[in-house]
Amino acid sequence: MKISYKWLRDYIDIDLDAKTLEEELTFSGIEVEAVEELGAILNQILVAEVKERQQHPNSDHLWICQVDNGNEVIQVICGADNCEAGKKVALAPVGTQMGEFVINKAKLRGEHSFGMLCSERELGISDNHDGIINLAGDCVNGEKLSRYYDLSDIVFEVEITPNRPDLLGITGIARDLSSLLHREFRLPNPELPAGTKPIRAELQLDNQAIDLCPRYTARMIKGVTIAESPDWLKRRITAIGLRPINNVVDVTNFVMFELGHPLHAFDYHLVEDHQIIIRRAGLGEKFVALNDEEYILADTDLVIADSKKAIALAGVIGAANSQIQSSTQDIIIEAANFKYSAVRRTSKRLAIFTDSAYRFERDLSDMQAELAGRRCCELILATAGGELLEGLLDSYPEPEEPVIVTIRPSRIKKVLSINISQETITNYLESLGLKQLSNGEDSLQFEVPHYRKDLSREIDLIEEIIRLYGYNNVETYFKPQKVMNYEIFRNKRNLTDSLVKLGFYEVVNWSFAGVEDLDKLRIVERDRRREVVSLKNPLGSSFAIMRPLLLPDILRNTAYNLNHNQKDFRFFELNKVFLQGAGKQAEEKYHLSGLITGLRDAIHWREEAVKTDFYDVKGVVEELLSLTGLSGIEEKYSKETWYQPGVGLDFYNQGKLVASAGKLDPKVASSFEIEVPCFVFDLYLDTIYNEKRKIVPDFREIVKFPPVLRDLSFLIDQRFDLAEIAADIRQSNPELISKIILFDEYKGKNVPSGKRSLTFSLTFSSINKTLNDKLISKEMDRIVRSLEKKYEIKMR
Amino acid sequence: MKEELRKQIEAARTAINAAERQHDLMQLKSQFLGKKSDLNGFMMRLKELPASERPAFGKIVNEAKQQLEELINSRLLKVKESEYAAVLQAEHLDLTMPGKRNIRGALHPITQTWREIEDLFIRLGFQVADGPDIEDEYHNFDALNTPADHPARDLSDTFYIEGDVLLRTHTSPVQIRTMEKFAPPIKIICPGRTYRNDNDATHSPCFHQVEALVVDEGINIADLRDMLNYFARELFGPEIAVRIRPHFFPFTEPSAEMDMVCPKCMGSGCSLCKDTGWLELGGAGIVDPNVFEYVGIDSEKYTGYAFGLGIDRIAMLRFGITDMRLLFNNDLRFLRQFK
Ligand SMILES: [Zn+2]
Repeated sequence: MKISYKWLRDYIDIDLDAKTLEEELTFSGIEVEAVEELGAILNQILVAEVKERQQHPNSDHLWICQVDNGNEVIQVICGADNCEAGKKVALAPVGTQMGEFVINKAKLRGEHSFGMLCSERELGISDNHDGIINLAGDCVNGEKLSRYYDLSDIVFEVEITPNRPDLLGITGIARDLSSLLHREFRLPNPELPAGTKPIRAELQLDNQAIDLCPRYTARMIKGVTIAESPDWLKRRITAIGLRPINNVVDVTNFVMFELGHPLHAFDYHLVEDHQIIIRRAGLGEKFVALNDEEYILADTDLVIADSKKAIALAGVIGAANSQIQSSTQDIIIEAANFKYSAVRRTSKRLAIFTDSAYRFERDLSDMQAELAGRRCCELILATAGGELLEGLLDSYPEPEEPVIVTIRPSRIKKVLSINISQETITNYLESLGLKQLSNGEDSLQFEVPHYRKDLSREIDLIEEIIRLYGYNNVETYFKPQKVMNYEIFRNKRNLTDSLVKLGFYEVVNWSFAGVEDLDKLRIVERDRRREVVSLKNPLGSSFAIMRPLLLPDILRNTAYNLNHNQKDFRFFELNKVFLQGAGKQAEEKYHLSGLITGLRDAIHWREEAVKTDFYDVKGVVEELLSLTGLSGIEEKYSKETWYQPGVGLDFYNQGKLVASAGKLDPKVASSFEIEVPCFVFDLYLDTIYNEKRKIVPDFREIVKFPPVLRDLSFLIDQRFDLAEIAADIRQSNPELISKIILFDEYKGKNVPSGKRSLTFSLTFSSINKTLNDKLISKEMDRIVRSLEKKYEIKMR
Repeated sequence: MKEELRKQIEAARTAINAAERQHDLMQLKSQFLGKKSDLNGFMMRLKELPASERPAFGKIVNEAKQQLEELINSRLLKVKESEYAAVLQAEHLDLTMPGKRNIRGALHPITQTWREIEDLFIRLGFQVADGPDIEDEYHNFDALNTPADHPARDLSDTFYIEGDVLLRTHTSPVQIRTMEKFAPPIKIICPGRTYRNDNDATHSPCFHQVEALVVDEGINIADLRDMLNYFARELFGPEIAVRIRPHFFPFTEPSAEMDMVCPKCMGSGCSLCKDTGWLELGGAGIVDPNVFEYVGIDSEKYTGYAFGLGIDRIAMLRFGITDMRLLFNNDLRFLRQFK
């Protein structure tokens, strides 16, 4: 629903800026979805005067006007005929932003124009586009038009929740704001003139469906003059997006949006026999609505009828046969309430969605109907004239009983955790229109106003209290504490889970070791890992220290299993290792270590059995490191003493050692009674978790342009490492080369000794253009030339 | 020219009927019917004919094109059919031969049980706390209401490093460290490795424990019993009952030991439970006010419960493992059973 700020101010004195009001509304439960500023354009438009005009030499419908803008006389081309000399006009100077267009200096059929003369429609003043606006003679040239036309308004588009039909009128919003902001609220409550003849003599009312129409009121005005609405009325309803039609229809719309209660007006003379009958429709009854569509009714639909025909689909839409026309003189004003479920059923079945049905299906108040009818008569008398008939027809067999609710302060405390006095409770609820009936030790009794049907239980009142108190003013007392780093917790599980999927079995060993383990690994005296924590009362010399590495235990497990006829297996252990700390606190760090031996894969008839090698264990480490979220890993040949010289690799991140992998030196293996090739790895989990890591990947747009693949094959000296070569290739154009895959290495026949042949597959892709062959060939040439220069490669 | 056309068409027919592959047919199609084909060439050469003959000849060419197109399409259907038949013929497989699977290992049964326990607590909003294995006497004993001269210290055979530094004998020091750092409400479990100088078929010098600690206003023995029941039922099944009986621990008051119904015989008695129908599960109790004094928690305002269990023992019960030493042998013939 749209709310005009100016309109809102008719009922409550507020001067908040748009932003503040938006916030107040949102935090009182009325969510603002959009804010629109109206009439701002008039600040850019100037009053001007046409001094002279002549016919455009090259056009018979354009005029060349010399216009005084208060400062100078400028030339403007105008297409309207009513721009005679001497007229005061509205000038949009060069630079004015009109909607999506900017007024520029222009040349129209060879003549210069420095601005535009505007029509009322172009200025948003009215729908009138017959010529330009002619301003009153006393408007001063050069003044902003906003001085004479105040159209400025702010329109809030708000979402009203289904439990609050009382907010479907602007007065409802004003009432809610008044209790929130402690401002006085003015509800229109007009007193009508006594009237001449009694209405009973002119109109009969017969309510035959009391269950679907709890209340029906009709008033009559004779001798109205149907005409255009006055400006103030047009401005109000256009501000909220309605189109003015005529004074009577506009007033019914105005009152619907003012009080939230829909109304309908009938032409008295089109109502047969001057009878209004409220009845269920006949099955299959035809009904032509105001929108000229024909609908087939069902016997669950409620209609307003005269003696012959239906004249409205109750609460949903009027009929074409009885609507207000320009010739209408005498009118019937219906203000009623209809059963929400019936209106909803009819509206949904026939797919007629009107502002009226929208309101009725949210369960409106019987009492409000009478007020709406009264207000409507007041405004029609004021805008369309005529004479009111005396009294009203009112079918209201079962008046609504006021709802009485008891609220306990102790309950408020329990639900809201706030301490508020009985006085505050009373103030809050009375500001919302509730009436206090009594108060006891721990119970206050309130009568709920008719327009708040959503308040019927204690908990409903408690909700109102917290709404006014402010949800965010409730003191909180429990701050969840981060005892655990869940992210690391989960990552450890991910690592071990993927090792399981890669065929690893987890081993669990005691935390004890012997110093001889370090000797077997050839760890030198000055190595940090010699600073071990020793037990005073160990189980024996092989259990004398807290282990500084997981590897010796994994090697023992390996030897044990090799001795028991197992040949192909993979082990890992995730556990703490210990070293002496700075003070008496030891250093305890989590490591993840593992071993691979035997065949790479399970025996399968389709494939040849392959023995594991270094690249298998390296692949495992690459996989694990990528799971930790580290990026930018650097590789260096390892100096760890348990690797076979030249077959161990260290992995660094930002200069810190995070992992190593390699082939177990055969001598070291022997010392653990292992005589087969083993490949081992070690991850420094604590170091990894202290590094900056990508926890959540950054999404990148999918590249729309197809990538281009090229192969690159050459002979190169063996002393150059792949990492360096690949880096150089990428470096030649990092933006364009998205992938470099080594897909073959070849040594042997046809390759000179000391050389190897490498074949790469390069993927070129661009995020913003299609790559053509010429460009790629140029890139390939550049790559080849630079490799030739640096490595003396020979292309194959 | 007519004769030329006839020869062309004849050659095309022969070639199409001889084609055996879809690819060849596609090539023939572009050769005979494409923009640069000979048939199209005839259309270009129409003007060489006398004007009166042009329409008739044009018609013949167009008809020939249409016929060739139909011929190609029908030949294409046949070729597809025979290619399909060839695929069926070639792929005659023995589907009973083993499929290709990736190798897969397994987590150690202790880890599997450990995770199970962590998860059942995390589901109820517990956080997992970690702490050092190498502790000091203050956190392992003193703050747990077990002062230096207290006889309770003799109950555990402690590994010492030097001075007051030792290997923790339970994960209770993690409770102390957490309470030192965080104010109530506290809801944690501390799983971890613990050490006692004891090594035989039923004791390992390294073993694994999990302790739970809840501190808040109004925590009582009913909360403790609820949690023990939940714990046992999540791990061993909905029928499992837990009982607690009075016991002594320096850091809880009242203290209790807890038993659960033997999951093997469901209480009727068997070898596992030594015919009692019950298995001892661990220790529990309401946190002793003295412990709260040590860590600076208002013992008037707050109460708490704590309990501790052996993860290894629960793993053995869950999987029916009878010898504790198997857990640390890492024999593949053992580990492979937990895939
Ligand atoms: Zn039993």
